[in-house]
Amino acid sequence: MADNSPVTVAAGARAAAKDKPDKPRPKRQQAPLRVRMLRHAWLYVLLVPGVVYFAIFKYAPMYGVTIAFQDYLPFLGFSGSPWVGLKHFETLFTSPDFFRILRNTLLLALLNVIFVFPAPIVVALLLNEIRLSILKRAIQSSIYIPHFLSWTIVAALTYLLFALDVGPITQLMNSLFGARFNFLADPDWFRPLIILQTLWKSTGWGTIIYLAALAGVNPNLYEAARIDGANRWQQMRHITLPAIQSTIVIMAILMSGNLLDTGFEQIYLMTNALNRSVAEVFDTYVYFLGITQGAYSYSTAVGLFKAVVGIILIFGANWLARRFKQNGLF
Amino acid sequence: MTPLTRRLTAGAACAAVAAVGLTACGDDEPADLDTISMMVPLLGSQAPAADSELQQAVEEMIGKELDLTWVPNSDYNDRMTVTLASDDLPHVMVVQGKVPAFVQSAQAGAFWDLTDKLADYPNLTAEDDQILLNSSINGDNYGVFRLRDPMRTAVIIRQDWLDNLGLELPETTDDLYDIARAFTEDDPNDSGDDDTYGVVIPQWPGGYATASPYDVIETWFGAPNGWGEQGGQLVPGFDTPEFLAANQFVKQMIDEGLINSDFATMDSGTWDQPFFNGQGGIIIDVSSRAGVIMNLFKDQDPDNYGDYVAMTGNLAGPDGVLRSYPTIGYNGFLAISRQSVQTEEELDEVLSVLDAMSSQEAQILLNNGIEGRNFEVQDGFAVPIEGGDSDVEVLRNDVTSFAQLGTQSNGWLAYDVLPEGGPERELWDHRQEVHESDLATAVHNPAQPLVSETYVTRGAQLDLIIADARIQYLAGQIDEDGLAAEIERWYAEGGQQVVDEMNELYAQLD
Amino acid sequence: MRSRKTAQKPTTASRVFDAANIVFLVALAVVTVLPFIYVIAGSLASEAEIASRAFFLWPRDVVTDSYDYIFSTDTFLRSLIVTILVTTVGTVIQVLLTFTMAYPLAKRYLPGRNVILMAVIFTMVFSGGMIPTYLIVRELGLLNTYWALILPLAINPFYLIIVKNFFQELPEELQEAARIDGCTDLGVFWRVVLPLSKPIIATMALFYAVAIWNDFMSPLLYISDTSKWTLQMFVRQMTISSDMANTLGQLDPNYIPPEQGLKFAVIVVATVPILLFYPFLQKHFAKGILLGSVKG
Repeated sequence: MADNSPVTVAAGARAAAKDKPDKPRPKRQQAPLRVRMLRHAWLYVLLVPGVVYFAIFKYAPMYGVTIAFQDYLPFLGFSGSPWVGLKHFETLFTSPDFFRILRNTLLLALLNVIFVFPAPIVVALLLNEIRLSILKRAIQSSIYIPHFLSWTIVAALTYLLFALDVGPITQLMNSLFGARFNFLADPDWFRPLIILQTLWKSTGWGTIIYLAALAGVNPNLYEAARIDGANRWQQMRHITLPAIQSTIVIMAILMSGNLLDTGFEQIYLMTNALNRSVAEVFDTYVYFLGITQGAYSYSTAVGLFKAVVGIILIFGANWLARRFKQNGLF
Repeated sequence: MTPLTRRLTAGAACAAVAAVGLTACGDDEPADLDTISMMVPLLGSQAPAADSELQQAVEEMIGKELDLTWVPNSDYNDRMTVTLASDDLPHVMVVQGKVPAFVQSAQAGAFWDLTDKLADYPNLTAEDDQILLNSSINGDNYGVFRLRDPMRTAVIIRQDWLDNLGLELPETTDDLYDIARAFTEDDPNDSGDDDTYGVVIPQWPGGYATASPYDVIETWFGAPNGWGEQGGQLVPGFDTPEFLAANQFVKQMIDEGLINSDFATMDSGTWDQPFFNGQGGIIIDVSSRAGVIMNLFKDQDPDNYGDYVAMTGNLAGPDGVLRSYPTIGYNGFLAISRQSVQTEEELDEVLSVLDAMSSQEAQILLNNGIEGRNFEVQDGFAVPIEGGDSDVEVLRNDVTSFAQLGTQSNGWLAYDVLPEGGPERELWDHRQEVHESDLATAVHNPAQPLVSETYVTRGAQLDLIIADARIQYLAGQIDEDGLAAEIERWYAEGGQQVVDEMNELYAQLD
Repeated sequence: MRSRKTAQKPTTASRVFDAANIVFLVALAVVTVLPFIYVIAGSLASEAEIASRAFFLWPRDVVTDSYDYIFSTDTFLRSLIVTILVTTVGTVIQVLLTFTMAYPLAKRYLPGRNVILMAVIFTMVFSGGMIPTYLIVRELGLLNTYWALILPLAINPFYLIIVKNFFQELPEELQEAARIDGCTDLGVFWRVVLPLSKPIIATMALFYAVAIWNDFMSPLLYISDTSKWTLQMFVRQMTISSDMANTLGQLDPNYIPPEQGLKFAVIVVATVPILLFYPFLQKHFAKGILLGSVKG
């Protein structure tokens, strides 16, 4: 990287590819910026369409966040609506709901990190251990189906299976534990049910990205390892896991930015009068305020708060990854 | 101020686009009233084509072209919001009730105030002034309301169970209790097992005063419908002794097992199932559900399907007085944009079109279709013409969509559809009869026309406090003191402000 | 595993693991597939049967009314064609834009790369929202065109980062060799990098295709001409829970929800075509071996 002689470039890039952070570069060999940019003119050309896209469709609309500081009304528009400064943020932080919603959101986020995030990795690793290609493909093609069913359908199925006294799963659990389970109403069961739904719906779909990463592993490596006497566990630890390690890290960092996004529709459909105290999260709150009550500005303010938390988390996770000598996002 | 600010807003968007060097912004098109543009919710499964037979017939009748934007009903509000924010508002927009986005926009001048105009158009003159008032925002009408049945409440009961036990249809809430208990304890299906109960109540997604079985029973017990008047002051209906008495009554039924124990969580999409499968025998809901359930039985037992479903109207309370729970009588309105219809002359032209669309011929066209093509008239009923080519099928489908365009605020002048078979006809006749007589005892919500500022921004949340507390009380999670405490919380978190504002508006209304 | 074992002789522990693993994954596959089979069964059952049986995998009497209805409509076939068209064109554009942008971003030595990356990451959490995006689409003259369904979603920043990460994993030697042979960066990207990227291209094609296929928000907001509606508008219209509409106060009193069987049938006809996409792509995942041989 220091200069662009082929050898150093290759070595530098290889170092990066092997998940090692760059060594401090000897400054004296650095070519002038203009020269380096000209040398990679084609790379900039490749960047252009993407940059234009982000400018038009992502950055141009961003003036929309200003409505968090207004009393926005669609008809009056962005310039016609009155400015109110931080009013909506004050309302949010002083609201009696705020800490309850924050707590509910964080608890769900935590459960997502513990259960939902690792699930596709585990399943991908297990799938990778299946030798019979037809079976493997058949299982793969089955487990990703739930991704296509809407939350409305998932909720209807959950209500069917977990209904009080008559749901098949409720009956099974009642007879196993000799208790009367009220899964749908009991606030203690709300989070387990949500996590179960998410696991069911997203795990199979989540494996795809890891399976794609695993497709890049050279089968000869396993052969060599077996000859060296490595058992299945050792092969997984030393060949398979390293192959998807950087994907795991990237997925973890990406997830951290959306930690407070717990989904709206799923939770909304599972909420009732008896479990609302644990069910209300930012996404349902924003929906309720923004759509049902037309509080565009307030709900944007809540969204902005979430985004700030997200950006802190994502950069924090990236920093952490690099501290542990992993490839970060940049 | 509005046109200017709007141009500025558009300018900001243009600048944003221009900043990345793409396109210039066009000028506003001049209003062209040869074509009337309308935004309409789509309820049917398919959207009508722009050149559909029905649309051409309507256009011919009103002498204008129509430019219809169909928007799926379930996501109508999202689309309405972006449409309000954009520069291309249609001339006429269906608004689905007094949603905050509409109320605030209307008060900011987005829509014409039609309060003093409607009486100039014979077909837009309301048949029922109460509904006209109900559909207003504090007395100002920003749209032409779309008329709906004023009474729909019904008690639907398993006829065969009543027959087995030798019972009659209920007339009072005490009767309801007795029947529910007999359905639970006296083996109405002769199975020999204890496998039945009385009333089926599902999870209710709405808040307080949203026509839930609880709201209906409260009205029967004498509680106000939403808001009540006491000594010239408006009070919320849940802060009355009758509200508590009604819920004590429901709670007793729940505690005694006369109501399904999963009333708080049962999927409301499966409401008919326990009734149809012979587990629960009573449903308190709108009367049209009786027809839906009868269809299920018809599917299963085509010969005797008329023997399962009985229906009656509202019930008298413990004091023997009959009070009926009405609907609000309309479903949203057609509002006219001041941005796309700029002058009084243009407004007159649009209102004339709406007037033409509410004539009897137009009502028939919009609600029944084309006579001789997809329906015939028989005894004052519309009889669908079965079969026919695919064009007729399209026409049949389009009618369900075009019905959303009609207002009928001058009264329903189209044909009712002839019930299919004998039992259906019997049910239909009974339903009309019951609703008509119940209308005389309807308990109206005096606060229906009132929209308080605090209620617009906090109302849905506040109502949820009450709806949740009611369920929690019924489920035994909180006791009567707990219920009272939640009502106090309603006042503390903004309810008192709502009460004050409502009373102020109420005083101004008269 | 103390002694050396060769591939020919799996240990007992290994066999037990294989058996347990297969049992577990097959069970998982069954649990995930059963509900979909229920949806298919429901689409072929009468209303009375759906109402009377809690959960079933095959109807007592097969009723095809729902499918007859769906296939008799112009709407279904037209929106299916539109959806396939938009999904195909959209996926090609999205994959192309994502990969061309990700490649330079994978080059750590490229000046300015970090700034662009950070700007991209920023958009993953901050967005202007529905209304300003609508106004942009409108100002670009895309309303009521199929481009409105594709261009606003042209690059998903998440996928961009994943592809960028994949490119970083590629061995630099081959690219360097090609450069020595006189290839420009563009040539390296086109002739060396893309052919090595088949598994990730297949993955991204799947992700993008599914996202466009399932998108109902864009057609809802941007397409007024109903003849240009996609399948999801049809699906959403038929299956959205009436509960939700009810809470919003949008339920027309005269509205009778579509029959359950029809809802199920609509889900089936809208899901099966895209479901078939994955097995078709699956074979490309095996192509990664080429890459492996380079690494080894």
